[in-house]
Amino acid sequence: MTAALRYECRMMLRKRSMWIALGLITLLLAGSSAAQWRDLFHDGDARRVMGSVALLLNIFLPAGYGCLIADRLVRDDRLGVAPVLDATPASPAGRLAGKYLGVCAAVVLPMALLYFGWAVPYAAVTGGWPAVGWALAGFATVLLPAVLVVGAFALAVPLLIPAPLFRVLFVGYWFWGNSITADVMPTLAQSVLTPIGAYPLALFGVEGVIAGPQPGATLNFLRPEVTTATAGLSIGLLLVLAALTLCAAHAVRARTTR
Amino acid sequence: MRIDITGLTKRYRGGVAALDGLDLTVPTGMFGLLGANGAGKTTLMRILAGLLHPTAGEVRVGGHDVTTRAGRRAVQRTLGYLPQDVGVYPDLTAREFLDYVALLKGLDDGPSRRRRVGELLEVVGLTSEAGRRLKGYSGGMRRRVGIAQALLADPRLLIVDEPTAGLDPEERIRFRTLLAQLAGDRTVLLSTHIVDDVAQTCRELAVLSAGRQVFRGTVAELTREADGHVWSVVTQGPAPAGTVVSAVPEESGMRYRVVAADRPGADAEPLRPTLEDGYLALNLRTRPAAPAR
Repeated sequence: MTAALRYECRMMLRKRSMWIALGLITLLLAGSSAAQWRDLFHDGDARRVMGSVALLLNIFLPAGYGCLIADRLVRDDRLGVAPVLDATPASPAGRLAGKYLGVCAAVVLPMALLYFGWAVPYAAVTGGWPAVGWALAGFATVLLPAVLVVGAFALAVPLLIPAPLFRVLFVGYWFWGNSITADVMPTLAQSVLTPIGAYPLALFGVEGVIAGPQPGATLNFLRPEVTTATAGLSIGLLLVLAALTLCAAHAVRARTTR
Repeated sequence: MRIDITGLTKRYRGGVAALDGLDLTVPTGMFGLLGANGAGKTTLMRILAGLLHPTAGEVRVGGHDVTTRAGRRAVQRTLGYLPQDVGVYPDLTAREFLDYVALLKGLDDGPSRRRRVGELLEVVGLTSEAGRRLKGYSGGMRRRVGIAQALLADPRLLIVDEPTAGLDPEERIRFRTLLAQLAGDRTVLLSTHIVDDVAQTCRELAVLSAGRQVFRGTVAELTREADGHVWSVVTQGPAPAGTVVSAVPEESGMRYRVVAADRPGADAEPLRPTLEDGYLALNLRTRPAAPAR
């Protein structure tokens, strides 16, 4: 697993399109929300500020990462590398786990650079030491689970449908499942299965984040009241979903290669 | 490491039988596998490498049953496999790619792994290019990386599928010599369309056709299949009856080398057969008759 992790991470970090996408998304975020960034930088409520920054990053970055990761597993067959790797005594499940963690680590790195690159000056100028703690909490409860869910889906689903089609559907899903208000149409948004992290973000006190029961919305059984426990439940469910998706990918791959 | 195959059948979805009750024994040493496209060679190699499950039959490699997970894993620990269309990661250098495969093969000790990778880069003549990303490599250079990865863990069983395809003549000779040198107390299973590669390196071979073994013996025995069936014919007219092995233009017409069951003409001269002639003669004898129109 560690070999796959090490080399998949290295290959992903060498993917030029990842850095180009990151640059473009950063420019988009900086340009479209310049006033918001400025206000946040001078806001003394470190908890809310670090939650807000996590939300801003989580709106676009995971969608881009899903598109970038989509070819990572299926390309082994396309490139003709799969028979070489499959003929080694390394466990296929371990290799899949290593690949998953490797690509996730590679996309988390630039995300962490952006997030903490903003958090450190904010902590130094406005937020103080508590900002560092809230930044770590935001990273662990909001950004990381989103990347882990997106990584699992982006590796697994292209085994069933072509990667370009997955990318289109995934971007659609990301905005449907995260940004649509639940009373407009049936959606997973504002529920415990929202990968953008609505439940933990609500605990950070981020303005504009809606989570919990919505009057008149369908699927309200997925929207319990926001508490620390339900936020933890949301994170746990997302991680379980990621693990199940990887297990399914392993099963599909084993079936198609036998 | 001896390979014993009994009643091996592989049917793909749709019922197509790539292997149809194959019985074959492969002894230690260099062993050639010949057959037309679709004869089942690649399917057999993929089963031996643990990449495919057989539909029926028994396959034992060095006593391990490769139809079980434990047996497959045991074989893969001593296996070097070069697939027909070997691929590489374009974003890695040759050294990194070999290091990655070496780690997956269980070469955990860093210094000895790096030494082994360096040795094999030297063997395949890529030392000076080892730090360059593989996306810049030619097809032949990638093939050489593929050859190097197959040799990484000092395999007791080496399965090579069309190993010299894409190599220039000098590289081809160098690599097949290397394979022959490696054979010794190892088993090297060489599947190829290039009959000359088998002629130059193997003492024993098998020929597959439609998923079955149609010949098993020595190179000399297969060559003898063409005894009395190889002819040289010079003509200005159409090609003579039989399988044309070669055609060389001359002043008096075209000189054909033909494998035919009967003398193709009164002026046809008998020739001493080669392994290629023997292979073609066997095909003539065993090929299923074409349906009558």
